[in-house]
Amino acid sequence: MRNEVHDVLIIGSGHAGGMAAKILTEAGIRCLMLNAGPVVDIARDAERLPASDLPYRGFRPPGHIDHVFQSNEFNANVWVDEQEVPYTFEPNQPYNWVRVRLFGGRSLFWSRQSFRLSDYEFKCRSHDGFGEDWPIGHADLAPYYSRVERIFRVAGAMDGPAQMPDGAFILDDDPWTPSMQRFINAAKPLNIPVCKQRRAMGVDGLASSVNLLLPDAERTGNLTSIANAVVREITVDKNTGLPNGCNFVDRISRREMSVKARVVVLAAGTLESTRLLLNSGLANSSGVLGRYLTDQIYGAGVVASVPEARGRKGAGIMGGGAIVPRFRNIDTKSDKFLRGYAFNVSSMVGGLSARNFAAYGAELEKKLEEYYGSGFQMTIMGEVLGRYENHVRIDKDKVDAWGIPVLHVDTKYTDNEYNMAKDAVEVGVELCESAGFEVLSKNPIPNPPGYSIHEIGTCRMGDDPKKSVLNKWNQSHDHKNLFVVDGASFTSGGWQNPTMTILSLSMRASEHLASEMNKGDL
Amino acid sequence: MRRREFVRALVSFFVAGKAASAQQRMNDPTLPPPAPVPWTLGLNTRTPIPATGLADEIATAELRFFTPLQMSTLTRLSDVLLPPLNGKPGAAQAQTPMFLDFLIGSSSEQRQKVYTGGLDWLEATAQAKYKTAFAQLDDTQAGEVIKPWLRTWMSDNPPTEAHADFINIAHDDIRSATVNSKAWHDVPSIGAEPHTESGIYWLPIEPDVYGENPAYAHTQPHVQAMPKGGQKMPVYSR
Repeated sequence: MRNEVHDVLIIGSGHAGGMAAKILTEAGIRCLMLNAGPVVDIARDAERLPASDLPYRGFRPPGHIDHVFQSNEFNANVWVDEQEVPYTFEPNQPYNWVRVRLFGGRSLFWSRQSFRLSDYEFKCRSHDGFGEDWPIGHADLAPYYSRVERIFRVAGAMDGPAQMPDGAFILDDDPWTPSMQRFINAAKPLNIPVCKQRRAMGVDGLASSVNLLLPDAERTGNLTSIANAVVREITVDKNTGLPNGCNFVDRISRREMSVKARVVVLAAGTLESTRLLLNSGLANSSGVLGRYLTDQIYGAGVVASVPEARGRKGAGIMGGGAIVPRFRNIDTKSDKFLRGYAFNVSSMVGGLSARNFAAYGAELEKKLEEYYGSGFQMTIMGEVLGRYENHVRIDKDKVDAWGIPVLHVDTKYTDNEYNMAKDAVEVGVELCESAGFEVLSKNPIPNPPGYSIHEIGTCRMGDDPKKSVLNKWNQSHDHKNLFVVDGASFTSGGWQNPTMTILSLSMRASEHLASEMNKGDL
Repeated sequence: MRRREFVRALVSFFVAGKAASAQQRMNDPTLPPPAPVPWTLGLNTRTPIPATGLADEIATAELRFFTPLQMSTLTRLSDVLLPPLNGKPGAAQAQTPMFLDFLIGSSSEQRQKVYTGGLDWLEATAQAKYKTAFAQLDDTQAGEVIKPWLRTWMSDNPPTEAHADFINIAHDDIRSATVNSKAWHDVPSIGAEPHTESGIYWLPIEPDVYGENPAYAHTQPHVQAMPKGGQKMPVYSR
């Protein structure tokens, strides 16, 4: 056993922790990374099977991951078990906390949509008077976005309006398919922009911390990683009051252990980082730790059919997709809601879901055959306003499998989000009908909060220590050697998937930290 | 003298040969070490893996959650919503109602109520309208009860309206359970007929090696193997 003091302790191994490890170790800083779950090896841990070989016929096994709507029997074992690590909420305010504790975290499983925030998000209060401006703007983060986009090999076109800044892309110059072109033509009179999707291509089909970030850190020889280390609390030096390491429990043996470090970087995922700070009694002189939890509304949308593609005539008509960036409350002002939403648009070539037809038996099978390959779908990604009331706190009456107090999530959507979803469906129907598509189904009700897996906030950054937890460098106002580099640091949200911003913030914060450490200021 | 030396040389030749052969055997990695053999040794990558089937195919299960009346209603509903078509098995042939007894019986109270309330409502409606059990309705009569409540829906948001919630959720579950059954999988799909879902199945990445998870402590097997005709199951006292 060694009683070594590491330069930096990084808690979490996903995109945020992986980027911190890469930047810090490449700057010559010795890092220790702890991850709460095991290392995954697809050759050892997975096999291809038909659902008919599985005891639940592919259904999500009940009782363990009931709030992970994305789960099924195939992937049931990759998510955090809600019995092993519970969380609580009021029965009328359910929250879907979707967690992965495997080494690499949720960077192993994500949709790859890769967008920058714009100054409509960074400077949101200046634009519409609600919430707080971030202490940084797009210009501050742009150089980091560009570097991240190159590492993750983001494909896209330079077609973004001001609310969707362009980046360092692998250029997508594929032509639109006729069905997509019809949609674009329908959107034009309404001044609704339709742009090429932006996605991280990664390497070998994966765009994760484990293949794009951690190998660089490991090559330096400066990274030590421990799996199955469930951090109980951050420890504090009694003399200085500064964080100096952590206590953790080995997930398998349940042995209690400790490590020491000069600097602590939290990257455990938004709510786990905040839970750890709350359980450690740190970083909360402002009283806003755990507050301003936001995410995005998902689930609302429209499914339509392109009539000309029915009867198996879709070849050459269907295929491709687009992103419709936020268009509400940019140049005009809605009287129904603040901010806005984006649409993911897909022109589909396969079969349609039976849910799109109010029929059964032979009639349904006939419909499925007739409509095969003609589906056109629009789904919403909408900004959720950051509100003080939407928060997490420690539930003192419940602990997880290792005796660590769990989180209570107290959050709900408001009329702003519901009106936004309703507007999205109205616009979606209008666009589809203008394009000559037949609307088959629509849904204006968002899925429960958390469903998007884009939970952000709760350790928000800001210039005022009385109104924020972190400064503009993701550094605690209260403890200069404590950093939070994941989505918890967001001041507010947006319609964009947060991954590129998390990576860029972590890169920027880590370079600042490395600079401070190498100067001897930390 | 000379003869005695010859015999000794002959004996020592054979003894040495046997010893060398024994030594060779001792060094053969494919042979177990001298007995008593450490009992955890032996399994290796060349060990044949026994072929096993699915319990669903060879076993029966007891009704555990639904009442017999609810099950007869669910069976008829399943047969109406997904009958055998084009050589594909229907929901009843795929043993979907009994599978749903298992799945819904293990599910949340909220989901259980959707099913039990819905099945009871179907039965009551059939009795009120046709003065007979839902299970005895013909296809036209069953359709008159079901069709007003069919809705289109998407994502994870089924209808919330009473009766429509049950009909549409049950329809979705019946289809999924049937399409993902062995019976469906065994018959090739044609055209737009759905295929049995296939994908990367993740094993428990690190099983609960100590068996300490209380969630599994009292789990009883739902499906029990049936003894072949006339054969009694052996009972071992422990």
